[in-house]
Amino acid sequence: MLTATTRKSITDLSRRTSRTFFTVATLALAIAGIGLFALPALMNRSMNGTVAADRLPDLTVQIRPLVLDPPQLAGLAAVPNVTAVEPRSFSNGPVYVGGRRAFAQVRGIADFSRQGTNVVHVVSGTAPTSDEVLTDLQDAKHGLLDVRAGQRVRLVGADGALRFLRVSGEGRNLDGAQSVISDNVIVLYADAPTVASLSGVNGYSELDFRLAATGSVAVAHTVTAIRRVLASMPGFKGFTELPQTRATGDWPGKSRFLQFTKFFSVITLLALLSALVLISNTVTTLVAEQTSEIGIMKAIGGRRRQVAAVYLETAVLVGALGTGVGVVLGIVLANGLARYFGSTFYAVTTGVGVDWRIVLVSAVVGIAAPPLVALPAIRRASRLPLREALQASGSAVGDEDAGDRFLRGVRFLPRAAQIGLRNVGRRRRRSISTALVIAFAVGTLLAVLGLSAGAADASRASWGDHGEDVKITAQGHRRFDAAAARLIRATPGVAGIEPMFVTDVDLAGKDAKIWAVRQATMFHYRIATGRWYTPAEEHDEARVVVVERAIARVAGIRLGDTITVETASGRVSFRVVGISTNQQENGTALFVPLTTMHALMTGMPADDNDYWVRTTSHRHALIDSTTTRLEDTLTAHGYPVNSEIKYVRLANEVASGRTLTTTFAVVGFLIVAISMAGLASALTTSVMERTREIGILRSIGARSRDIRRIFATETIALAITGWIIAIPVGYLLDHFLVWMVEAVANVDVPFMFPLANLALAVAGTIVLALVVALAPIRRAALYRPGDALRYA
Amino acid sequence: MAQANETRLVEPDAKLTQDGEQTVGDEAVERPLIELVGVEKSYRMGRLDYPALRGIDLRVGAGELVAVVGPSGSGKTTVLNVVTGIDRPSAGTVTVGGLRIDAMSEEELAVWRGTHVGVVFQFFQLLPTLSALENAVLPLDFARRGSKRERIERARHNLDLVGLGDKLDHLPAELSGGEQQRVAIARALANDPELIVGDEPTGNLDSVTAGEMFELFALLNGEGKTILYVTHDLGLAGRAHRVVSIRDGVVVAA
Repeated sequence: MLTATTRKSITDLSRRTSRTFFTVATLALAIAGIGLFALPALMNRSMNGTVAADRLPDLTVQIRPLVLDPPQLAGLAAVPNVTAVEPRSFSNGPVYVGGRRAFAQVRGIADFSRQGTNVVHVVSGTAPTSDEVLTDLQDAKHGLLDVRAGQRVRLVGADGALRFLRVSGEGRNLDGAQSVISDNVIVLYADAPTVASLSGVNGYSELDFRLAATGSVAVAHTVTAIRRVLASMPGFKGFTELPQTRATGDWPGKSRFLQFTKFFSVITLLALLSALVLISNTVTTLVAEQTSEIGIMKAIGGRRRQVAAVYLETAVLVGALGTGVGVVLGIVLANGLARYFGSTFYAVTTGVGVDWRIVLVSAVVGIAAPPLVALPAIRRASRLPLREALQASGSAVGDEDAGDRFLRGVRFLPRAAQIGLRNVGRRRRRSISTALVIAFAVGTLLAVLGLSAGAADASRASWGDHGEDVKITAQGHRRFDAAAARLIRATPGVAGIEPMFVTDVDLAGKDAKIWAVRQATMFHYRIATGRWYTPAEEHDEARVVVVERAIARVAGIRLGDTITVETASGRVSFRVVGISTNQQENGTALFVPLTTMHALMTGMPADDNDYWVRTTSHRHALIDSTTTRLEDTLTAHGYPVNSEIKYVRLANEVASGRTLTTTFAVVGFLIVAISMAGLASALTTSVMERTREIGILRSIGARSRDIRRIFATETIALAITGWIIAIPVGYLLDHFLVWMVEAVANVDVPFMFPLANLALAVAGTIVLALVVALAPIRRAALYRPGDALRYA
Repeated sequence: MAQANETRLVEPDAKLTQDGEQTVGDEAVERPLIELVGVEKSYRMGRLDYPALRGIDLRVGAGELVAVVGPSGSGKTTVLNVVTGIDRPSAGTVTVGGLRIDAMSEEELAVWRGTHVGVVFQFFQLLPTLSALENAVLPLDFARRGSKRERIERARHNLDLVGLGDKLDHLPAELSGGEQQRVAIARALANDPELIVGDEPTGNLDSVTAGEMFELFALLNGEGKTILYVTHDLGLAGRAHRVVSIRDGVVVAA
């Protein structure tokens, strides 16, 4: 049996069902937002399962192609701490997709039936045998290659000959999936002999190891032991890249994903804040309109505590309802997003999971927050003198202040619109908080759009530093030599060329890349402090370096410092002669004279594996045709190549940045949804409060369009106020996001806040607000005057 | 709607002589401005139907000054509501100025009320954010009659008429109860309606102010307006041409 006060708490909610609905919806959306915090745990769980199923390697080493027979592989597997080893071979070259030529990487698997690590799973069809390939699931998903089992793909071999390989089915591999997404290449899997026939080279160029112990010391000892075993084999010339280790619990793209979810957290917190503002609003209104009832309760002996308890119970009920719906919604949302990310970026089907810690946090926040934010209003109402409380009408007629006088001064609008505008001023606190919540939403979108513009600008600036139109990269075993340089230079359409190469290094535990480039380079370096290296330093093969500002900041590098980096051929120290503002390799590039790197990497792949090519014109058609000619000429002369056209990469990068910010914007819509629920709630309350007024207006001749105009004006006024507040909010939030990108991802994104977005935002806000307000406005316009006048 | 706008109400033929003597003729009631025939009205109160009017027949002639009296809950306000189209009858017909208003749509009714009826409520019911002048001009704005300047001039004239020419810019909160009711009357006069109805128009006023308010009604009636008002005050009821007494939703005396 419920007590009378509890029944009152329930009926207070049930007698205003629309408002209760919107309040519960607002809270549910915010609580659902908390559910996003479960995303890392859900992804981790799924990815750890996939890592286990794929037997992802703990250590990977790159070598020049090396033929390994079973006893030699057994020797590597017998290295202490090694539990499994898997050799890989690669063939990189063009593939025809219809009439178009794309770049493909064919990965050679020693034995599909016995993969010790980095397993390629056959998802459909069968494992490929001779002259067959397996496509990666992501190839079709990302629109790169859509072929079915039984069809054939046309690949260009290292000898320039066209090879037709039958597709045996579809495969899945975490590492392969990442290559498709990160490098935009078509990944295929084949047996080792097929790959050898394509590349013209026998042997494996990558070794994947599973280790028993993955601590840094154990891994270092294992690397040394592996190097020693490999050194005893004929043809081994050292590692071509730094050995890559995978920390326990790590999976490809994990750090980027976690960075990504940090942005979600900011948006989720904003969503929660918006919801709490709105709930406070609703309870304040509820208490205000029931002030006379509070007076009645006190008049018949209700103590302050008892009166407050009625409204606290109401707030708890709202919290419980919102939490119930929000938790379910949050679980669905988090699982949906995990499924989307898993499927889109990793070709992994994530299972349904619940992070109970997040559920618990959601429940605590959802149930405790509403009464807490309602407390000030409840306290105010319960302390109101009895006579004042009994006389309260619940309608808002306060003293006129400057704000009201300003609104009264707006006389150019039709009378109905003037009434709507002045109504905004009547419930000042509610109007401000509604406008604030709209401002949070619009501000978030403005900030995300600003960040997107900044990211696109950074991409353009980054690629704008490139003087070349095409980058040609040697693939396979044969590097570019003087003969290749002559072929490139002689190709019609080529205006200038420059050799360079890039190699991975470890800088004080951080991944970085050395760009070995000429002193007089076509690359547009931008020096912040110090200088570029001199011709004399280039000639003397001086160990000097120009460091990009982003990595200098992270690694604490200053001008004049000496830095030591770990390269594939050992440790090398350089003197820092300049800090540049360029943003290559996500701000981790170290520029070193090409001559210096040639000298340092003796015996290593010191041949220039890249050529920057400038074409005679920047017309896309000419760049395309020149690139095709370069590929054909070089391949025909036994230099398998991959090409990277600058304008295509720039467009891809801008598009991928847009995809990322679109994802932010989608999550940002959570706040938009909350704010719109809040607006609908505020207008519903406004219509309820003014029902008698609507009756009076109808009684003196107001038509339904006059009533619609009153509430539409109120809606537009709130939307515009929200938009005005959103400008500084969005501006600050944009600065915060730019700072966060720099702090979390170490990427410099220029701050941009395009004014065109403001115009877009005001139009969007008004239209959306009017759409949301349709239902309450319609309700107001359809009231019969008699019913409206009797409304209590 | 056009029909409602174009229709003219019957010409008032009831006049007050200089000494206030009633000269309303029987012919006025024979050609009534208001005619209710068999009007019933029920309100839904939760799960129950509450019959407010149980078959009312009432005729009010043009130019009459009629008081409606009866105990609380007898159906007085409901009579006014069906006469003004604020409420629709559950059964029966309501004809005002020759128009069957019970057959009109809500929009037609709004337009008709705006131009042919002035309503005065017990609690004044002014819009709190509008000044006295803005409240008084509101029905003209809704009816879109004349230019903006003409509407303002007319509202100003009406406020002068009720003695509030010096408080045009005052908000309702800055006016006394009597002054607020005067603004409400000025608002009711906005479109120069043939019919003015008052629902306890003096119920919230002290006796002196109530008396002044009635004088205003009598004056308007003298200018040809038909006045129908609900009151609890038998003294004020007695000053009407005719008193209609209602009890339990039926007319017991007319």
